[in-house]
Amino acid sequence: MLPLLELRERVKNFYQRYDMYILPVLKFIFALIVFNIINKEIGYDAKLKSLPIVLGVSLLSAFTPSAVMVLLSAVISIFHIYSVSPILSIMIIVILLILYLLFVRYTPKQGYVLLAIPILFRLKIPYMLPILLGLTSTPVAIIPTACGVIIYFLIQIIKTAVTMQTSISVEDILQLYTYVVDSFIGNRQMIMTLVVFSLIILVTYFIRKMSFNYAFEISILAGGIISILGFLISFLLLNKTNQILSMIIGSIVSTGIVYIIHFFRLTLDYSRVEHATFEDDVYYYYVKAVPKATVTLSEVNIRHYNVKGTKRREFSEPDTDDTDPYDYEESEENEDN
Amino acid sequence: MLNFKKIRLMTKLAVYEKKEGKEDIYLSKYYKTDYVRFQILKSIISATVGYALILAMIALYKMEYLVKNAVSLNYKLIGTYVLGFYIITITVYGLGTFLIYSIKYDASRKKLSRYFKLLKRLEKLYNDSDQES
Repeated sequence: MLPLLELRERVKNFYQRYDMYILPVLKFIFALIVFNIINKEIGYDAKLKSLPIVLGVSLLSAFTPSAVMVLLSAVISIFHIYSVSPILSIMIIVILLILYLLFVRYTPKQGYVLLAIPILFRLKIPYMLPILLGLTSTPVAIIPTACGVIIYFLIQIIKTAVTMQTSISVEDILQLYTYVVDSFIGNRQMIMTLVVFSLIILVTYFIRKMSFNYAFEISILAGGIISILGFLISFLLLNKTNQILSMIIGSIVSTGIVYIIHFFRLTLDYSRVEHATFEDDVYYYYVKAVPKATVTLSEVNIRHYNVKGTKRREFSEPDTDDTDPYDYEESEENEDN
Repeated sequence: MLNFKKIRLMTKLAVYEKKEGKEDIYLSKYYKTDYVRFQILKSIISATVGYALILAMIALYKMEYLVKNAVSLNYKLIGTYVLGFYIITITVYGLGTFLIYSIKYDASRKKLSRYFKLLKRLEKLYNDSDQES
């Protein structure tokens, strides 16, 4: 346990020092994975698959809020589908619009969930997301999770619908449309996945909220067990016994990943470094406020840049805070230069 | 002369203004009724559009049936169903929006009052230092 805790401390320090750069890099990597998987799954348009576009779009997503990335990936998917079947792309636009207008617009901060679910399905560990959301969020997270599941199954349906021969006659279009709607509504696996995911979120959330020792760890475990049991029942009902093994392995791996995230989460959550700039009549302040690990009080770290030749300024007595809030030696070094 | 008490206060204020405070300060421009009403209006419009889209999809799906029985359809019954479900949807969305955004507004007001308290303390600090000099 001790080396692990040391590792956590090291990760925390690293994060505190470079958090300005780490977040965009992580977002960039996530965006790269998202767009690559979209290209692999429904990459019908070769132009959109080119490296400069993928890199450019990922870079754009790295520095903008999550909503932009969700919008970009939706637009790219629609263009991909448009290049093979304009009619299908219209259907997708309508369904996505309905999802947005009725559900997604109420949970703008959880836009990542919409993208993460199809991707985790691809990686065979979609079970980790509901457990994680139950652990970190509220049951409201059921909404984006459900929409993510719907989008994943929609993509699966689209992939088969694209192979269907279509001409531009009205009958063919109607037939294609009926096929999509039929396989969408009659998709029992989707409905069961929705139910089990919602159940996982609820159970994990309520166990986490209980007040006994190790509530967090037990809630993760409970989430994993619900996931295995729920999908076992659904696969047995749907006669998809060949998927059971990968589901069980996926659930166990997911539980493990969530536990690792949980292990790092608390420290990372509270080690959020704040950069603030402000001014008063005399100075400009560039402050990096580092929260203390155990106390909520912020430690204020001031870097002082002196103009050459000026005398050292006077300082008032630091108030009650017992740590040295002013890095004295650093400013002396600056003056020597 | 650097005044650490002041800097600590200003840092707190600046961090708040930059992150969660952004929305609180934006909300403080509205009266509660105005804000909540505006949100209800927005969600009712979006629910209406969503409902219309779903309706259009259902209509297209049943197109064949609709065209075949265009003469013998009971339009009155269909109309009541469509309207009834619409009213239910709108009520649910309107009420939900009303509840959620009222709570949100109150919470942001509470946070904002804490912010103003800190601002006042900062002002006092300024006045004190003015008197000293």
